[in-house]
Amino acid sequence: MRMSDETAKCTVCRQPLGENGRCQHCDEDGHHTWTLQDWRPLLTLGLIIVLGFSFTSLVVNGFREKQSALAAEYYQAGLHAMETKQAAAAVDDFETALVYSHDNFQYRLKLTDALVASGATGEALGQLRAFWDQRPGDVQVNLKLARLEAQRQHVDDALRYYQNAIEGAWPERTDPFPQRTAARFESAEYLVGQGRQEQAEAALLALAAVLSSSAPEQGKLGDLFLRNGDPGRALSAYQAKLNQNKNDDAAILGAAKASFAAGSYATARRYLVESKTETQESRALLEQLERMEALDPFSKGATVKVRTERTLAVFHIAIERLATCGVPFARAMEATDKSFALKDPAQWSGLAKWAEQLSPMMSERKLRGRDDVIESTMRFAFQAEMAAQKDCGSPTLNDEALLLLARERMGANR
Amino acid sequence: MSPRLDSSRDALRKLMTTPVRRKYFETLRRMLGPSGLISIREEQFFLVLAIAIGILAGFCVVLFRIAIESARLWLLGSSMHPSAPRVVLVPALTGLVLAVLAVRFFPRVRGSGVNQTKGALYIYDGYISSETVVGKFVLSALAIGSGQSLGPEDPSLQIGAGLASALGRWLKLSKERLRLVAPVGAAAGIAAAFNAPITAVLFVIEEVIGRWSAGILGAVVLSAISSVVVERWFMGDEPLFHVPQYHLGHAGELAAYAVLGVVGGAASLVFVKVVKYVRPRLRSLPQWSQYLQPGVAGLLIGFIAIWYPQVMGAGYEWMDLAMHNRFPWEVLGIIAGLKLLSTALSFTTGTPGGLFAPVLFMGAMLGGSVAMLEQQLFPSIAVPVGAYALVGMGALFAGILRAPMTSVFMILEVSGNYSIILPVIICNTISYLISRGFQEVPLFDLLSRQDGLDLPSLEEEREQEILRVEDAMHPTMGRALLGDEVIRSARSIAASTRKSTSWYRWARDAGAC
Repeated sequence: MRMSDETAKCTVCRQPLGENGRCQHCDEDGHHTWTLQDWRPLLTLGLIIVLGFSFTSLVVNGFREKQSALAAEYYQAGLHAMETKQAAAAVDDFETALVYSHDNFQYRLKLTDALVASGATGEALGQLRAFWDQRPGDVQVNLKLARLEAQRQHVDDALRYYQNAIEGAWPERTDPFPQRTAARFESAEYLVGQGRQEQAEAALLALAAVLSSSAPEQGKLGDLFLRNGDPGRALSAYQAKLNQNKNDDAAILGAAKASFAAGSYATARRYLVESKTETQESRALLEQLERMEALDPFSKGATVKVRTERTLAVFHIAIERLATCGVPFARAMEATDKSFALKDPAQWSGLAKWAEQLSPMMSERKLRGRDDVIESTMRFAFQAEMAAQKDCGSPTLNDEALLLLARERMGANR
Repeated sequence: MSPRLDSSRDALRKLMTTPVRRKYFETLRRMLGPSGLISIREEQFFLVLAIAIGILAGFCVVLFRIAIESARLWLLGSSMHPSAPRVVLVPALTGLVLAVLAVRFFPRVRGSGVNQTKGALYIYDGYISSETVVGKFVLSALAIGSGQSLGPEDPSLQIGAGLASALGRWLKLSKERLRLVAPVGAAAGIAAAFNAPITAVLFVIEEVIGRWSAGILGAVVLSAISSVVVERWFMGDEPLFHVPQYHLGHAGELAAYAVLGVVGGAASLVFVKVVKYVRPRLRSLPQWSQYLQPGVAGLLIGFIAIWYPQVMGAGYEWMDLAMHNRFPWEVLGIIAGLKLLSTALSFTTGTPGGLFAPVLFMGAMLGGSVAMLEQQLFPSIAVPVGAYALVGMGALFAGILRAPMTSVFMILEVSGNYSIILPVIICNTISYLISRGFQEVPLFDLLSRQDGLDLPSLEEEREQEILRVEDAMHPTMGRALLGDEVIRSARSIAASTRKSTSWYRWARDAGAC
């Protein structure tokens, strides 16, 4: 500790020297020391910190409550705007809600929905990808990304995000199973819609494996199987649904359609008859089945008279189809389009000869008891209809009924 | 003396006989001091005080942020798109009120808080008046809350510094420590404002203290950390910006970032030149005009905000939107330009508030704009808009505030994303070099010189050549004169020496030769 005699001040801290000529504020090594001569300043400082903490807590809590209230208010306004299809207003509201609740993930997700609804798909995609970077396993983000990519026809990306959504983590305190199942359904539906039959079948089989037979989604599963061209599994799913509630009209109609698609027309008819409510679809299906029955000479309970009548009707339908579609059709097409050629001209001439041979037998009297002729007539009609379907396209309702009968007969023969 | 006391003394003597115990007791004796009271070295106490300063500054900054938000809600309403009359009238009328308060009651609240803290350190022995702190708090909250294009970081810095200065005076620190206490508070203030302790420490070293000083570094770090802890306690520890994860796909992408560096450097230069040109001219206007200037600035900003409300206030919420592709590139470019204009208006008219947030805002908008433009021109290059906006912030920070190290670390801290460091360094360096190339004096030094102060600057110190005595010496030119030589011989020696020799020139001018 050095002292300056002229100024009587410490050279280290420049404080006045004490009566003994020594600095009160410096130690023997010449360092300025801070001496607690009065305990009050430190106590006051501690008190100020405690009071400051309490006061700040009070203010922050009050402000947070106000912010939360504002955020909730704008969020609700955004939801309302979404409901009333005012997407731009919803975007504004959600953005304002986020100003007051910056880290609210739910608000951010809703904002992306509003952005998509307002046509700002790119912005929504950008935000969702940013979320994905932060939370790659988040199911909601993956699902929204999958939907957006599906909308943009980026099938592989969409499928990747759907898969992430199925395997991802759901928010805490929520049962993941129903949500994961919903994601699986959405993914499978997308695959079915894209015509990716094999992938869709795999996804649907995986769904069928995780769904219990008592799950309410069995009907939906049946629909998807049916759309994917697997009526057998569709029927199983519908039957599982009907085991839960035998009066479920949607499941009954589904089962009917699946049976119909599988060629089990009788079963389909039985289901349709069981149904208590009639829809346009069920009515159309039933009419088709009735039309088929009306043209089937071999149906159970058909009398001899009915069989001959039906055979005659079938023959006339086939001849009419040949007349409009067979040789006259070819001639008409050749006149307008020189490049047109029938796929199998020999088949048409063969059918024409076959019709000529059958024609003399086509009377009620001659057909009575001649099951062989009836059988031959039906085969002729089926072949004519199938040939016409290849070359002439859309059949009439009766032609369609005949085609279905042909399919049923071929299935039975197999 | 009682036998009981005697036995205690004996026990104490026994305890002190072993060397280790003696050491402990010696330490205790030194702490208690000669008068038996607690006595510690001031530098140790300074560290403890730094923590207290950090905590208190943290409280103040949290309250300051809430004050700004409350003022905004009160004055402009809760919507992000306030009505046109409100947008025009509120900043104008508040500007008039602010001008009266600033001119009449709080004259020191105008101008840069960084320079005032620096002035306290180098000129005023650490003194920052308590009125300045109160004035800065209230007036800045009103100004930013009313939509003036300014930010809360610079006032936070000054509030922290002022608080530390007041505490230092109250606790009767020595002059030496009192002088250093303001930067400690400044670090706490800015750390809490940015929620970024490293940035705060570097900024205080680069811009306030102006030199690396080991004596104060510990206190600065402690105060910055303690204020950030307080800030996070109350406001949460989420980063300031949520930026999409960035990965550099190809080294060639860095060239695309370099473009942003050039644009950022140019924009920085424009801003500094505008401030350099306009501020002294506005200050030289008659005294009565000082009452009108913030109001007029507010009115003009209000008119701009009818179409572009983004220019009002600090604008953090809009920066977040820009990072998430919410605006097309043309709009981002226009907003950046208008923000530059609005900030120049608010700042040069002496409205209380800081430059940090507007600088970051301009950078974010410019970065986003450049990113989107590059996306359109070169679809093959991966151009993440969020990353560009972030890098743009750093570019403007480096270009305008000329704190290159702070600008790099700030971007890393506010985004919590280290992978962006390469583009940030490249872009910031380019912007910094452009700004330096065309504007020799950095903005803070420029402002202090306009205010009539000449404060040390780290940038100047970095480039100052060290002059030694030998550098000033020259080798002898010709033969040295001897003591016994006459004038004539001296003249002949001089004539034989080079004509440019200074002593010879001096002699010739004087008529001797």
